Amino acid sequence: MTPFLSARGIVKRFPGVLANDHVDFDVNAGEIHALLGENGAGKSTLMQIVYGLYGRDAGEILIEGRPLDLRSTRDAIAAGIGMIHQEFMLVRRFSATENVVLGLKAGGALKPLDLEGPAREIAELSRRYGLQVDPAARIEHLPVGTQQRVEILKLLYRKAKLLILDEPTAVLTPGEAEALLKVLRTLADQGHAVVIVTHKLHEIMAAADRVTIMRDGRVVGSVKTAESSEAELARLMVGREVALTARRSTRPAGPSVLRVEGLTVMSDQGRSALEGLSLDLREGEILGLAGVDGNGQSELAQALTGLRTASGGRVLLGERDLTRASPAERRSAGVAYVPADRRHVGSVGALSIAENAILGDQRAYARFGLLDRKRGRSFAAGLMERFDIRPRKPDYPAGKLSGGNLQKVQLGRAIASDPRALIVEQPTRGLDVGAIEAVWAELLRLREAGKAILLISAELEEILNLSDRIAVIYEGRIMGELPAAQADLRRIGLMMAGSHGEEDGHADL
Amino acid sequence: MRIFERRAAPAEGAAAAALSTALAILAALAVGGLLFLPFGADPFSAYAALFGESFLTWRGFGFTLLKAAPLILIGLGTVVAWRTGFGFLGFEGCVMIGAAAATWVALMVREGQILAGLPFAAFLPLAILASLIAGGIWSGIVGLFKSRFGGNEVITSLMMNYVALLLVQYLVSGPLREPGGLPQSPRLPRETWLPQLFDGMRANAGILIALAAALVVWALLLRSRIGYEMVVTGLNPKAARFGGVEVGRRQFMAACLAGGLAAMAGMVEVLGLHHRLIDGMSGGVGFVGMVAALLGKLHPLGVVIASTLYAGMTVGADAMQRQAGLPSSIVFMIQSLIVLFILAGEFFRRYRLRLPGRRTASAGEGV
Repeated sequence: MTPFLSARGIVKRFPGVLANDHVDFDVNAGEIHALLGENGAGKSTLMQIVYGLYGRDAGEILIEGRPLDLRSTRDAIAAGIGMIHQEFMLVRRFSATENVVLGLKAGGALKPLDLEGPAREIAELSRRYGLQVDPAARIEHLPVGTQQRVEILKLLYRKAKLLILDEPTAVLTPGEAEALLKVLRTLADQGHAVVIVTHKLHEIMAAADRVTIMRDGRVVGSVKTAESSEAELARLMVGREVALTARRSTRPAGPSVLRVEGLTVMSDQGRSALEGLSLDLREGEILGLAGVDGNGQSELAQALTGLRTASGGRVLLGERDLTRASPAERRSAGVAYVPADRRHVGSVGALSIAENAILGDQRAYARFGLLDRKRGRSFAAGLMERFDIRPRKPDYPAGKLSGGNLQKVQLGRAIASDPRALIVEQPTRGLDVGAIEAVWAELLRLREAGKAILLISAELEEILNLSDRIAVIYEGRIMGELPAAQADLRRIGLMMAGSHGEEDGHADL
Repeated sequence: MRIFERRAAPAEGAAAAALSTALAILAALAVGGLLFLPFGADPFSAYAALFGESFLTWRGFGFTLLKAAPLILIGLGTVVAWRTGFGFLGFEGCVMIGAAAATWVALMVREGQILAGLPFAAFLPLAILASLIAGGIWSGIVGLFKSRFGGNEVITSLMMNYVALLLVQYLVSGPLREPGGLPQSPRLPRETWLPQLFDGMRANAGILIALAAALVVWALLLRSRIGYEMVVTGLNPKAARFGGVEVGRRQFMAACLAGGLAAMAGMVEVLGLHHRLIDGMSGGVGFVGMVAALLGKLHPLGVVIASTLYAGMTVGADAMQRQAGLPSSIVFMIQSLIVLFILAGEFFRRYRLRLPGRRTASAGEGV
């Protein structure tokens, strides 16, 4: 049968980079097709060419066997191709219907806008594909998962046959992700072609029919998921064997290092983000803090590192009360922090790697008020050597580093300060398999070295693989805490959703 | 195919910035050259007259340096403030405040006043200090509003300009008024005037003060720890806080220093050029200085070059009007064109040209 979309021999050059090197890619109607590859493998470039955002240097694109003259996104949309970007393109103060019709030219400029017809049609589409979107709801009141379904409605309303979703589950909770995959299956069953761009292997195995793997701008394989395995996909993607289960030695945890007692913190919106939260971080132990994003994890990390003022409770490092200490004082006391947003909080993109490597430690590099840049550069060079950060140029702008390499800079910088307690937030978010492997190994090495580590992550897999103890946070409270040996997915999942994980409703501690 | 295409990564780096600036100036001169044609003038000889007068004659170059000094100082203030993420626009007001402070100190050197007989070597540091402090306090108020109450510094600093202008108006028509004369202060004693660099050249020590300030700002901003913290604050306040930088404090410092530098420009104008405080004497120099800072890519050295170029064009414009009868407003249009083309250059650092009929888009990559 003729594939719905067929890209033949696509070549795309950027100065100094061959982003797509004679790429062939087919998607059939009725299938979910995963496009897998590490960051920089060329998968986004390929999809942006298909969607008409980029021109191509060679190759052709066929829709149902007929060549498509693709000059702009307008042509792509007319041919039935739709794309949802990682960041949603929605007007927050508009209703779902208003967002869907936005940009469509119906009637004259002076004619009153008819929203009732479209609203009915949207409700009908929503019912047919099980999207559960209220056409009248305002975007800002909708959870992220529903916002994403409004984006899907936008495409369906424009009669898209092919839906391309770029990293669709990156911003979703596990429950929302599962619901999304169900929606995508419904779409495929009703004859749509769906492409998901991702590097999450378990999702592909769970949801996709076929998977095309890209590496260094080339397609290295296209397989049916039913005939493949996570291990094979990982090997194709990275180009070597990868072990994605961390091996931990069992060892008793040492004495308490960082204690949090009844911490209460407000969010930026002035709502209560943490309500009397208590935790105890011990030497040589990884405490995994599981929870759906936005339940107070970031506020906790910020309160621990002095970036947010606590309105109640105490933070103690050993015997020292740090509750009122400034970020600089906490650093020198031995609390290091690896923030989740490595591009906007943990680094300054316009500055060099060397200048980023000394961030937070700049006082130690100053002599008579002047920065000793030579020493900063040699420190950065050492860091890059030790953590295999590429390209190995201390003067390279940090903003141009890949996510994995930037994360190694952040992590290396924190480790080099020889902290007593380390707070890492979403350490592998957006990283590819090879980089995840490196970050995990580094965290385990720190644990062996006797550091107390608080691992804040929304990835349950990560929490289960690395932690000695697991605590679950929900709406600013700890729902329960249990040793890793007794962790089971169902109970943690229940706690993440706000139940105490026990049928009788008692906390497990 | 589309004509403009987003580059995989924006062309950054010093070379790309310098090249795009140079091309923008050339493009502005080329387009601006057309403006001479209706007057029957040859653009090349017009430009020769323009730049020849202001850079190649001893007299004209003296005027160029005279005009460049305050622009450099204001441009440096702009660099310090904007690089720290403090969107200060109140340089005009600070110029007036600095001029008033310098006038006040200089008038005290008059016969019968408390500082009478003070040698110039002692007077100058005192005048610099007075204008620095006055300007620093003036802009510091704006900084305080921002760091304490979250006031928008763009609006408050613009409003403070009017307050400063009116304050000087009050001074020259009241306490500092020359007896019986126009709304201006008495003439400053000759021993407080900035000395001329060479006999027969209008340039005075003001340019040396400006160059020294450029050196200090360069060392502070690009070599010191505090400067590093300021730059990080400006680029990314969240990362700055993460790195233990006291963001509010650094921005307040930047505000004070920026105002102080602009106030020194006012001092240079009073002690070097006008020799008295005059109502409205700043005449927009505080805004032109910001343009010079933008043209200089917010780098101290760039500010020196851009200010000198800008000053030279202004001086040349007058000469051109006098000698060839061409309206000097053409030059001001060219100055504006340069700004527009530099902004357009920013676009080409993010997008590249893709000309139809070419397989690989190599066109426009150099820009």
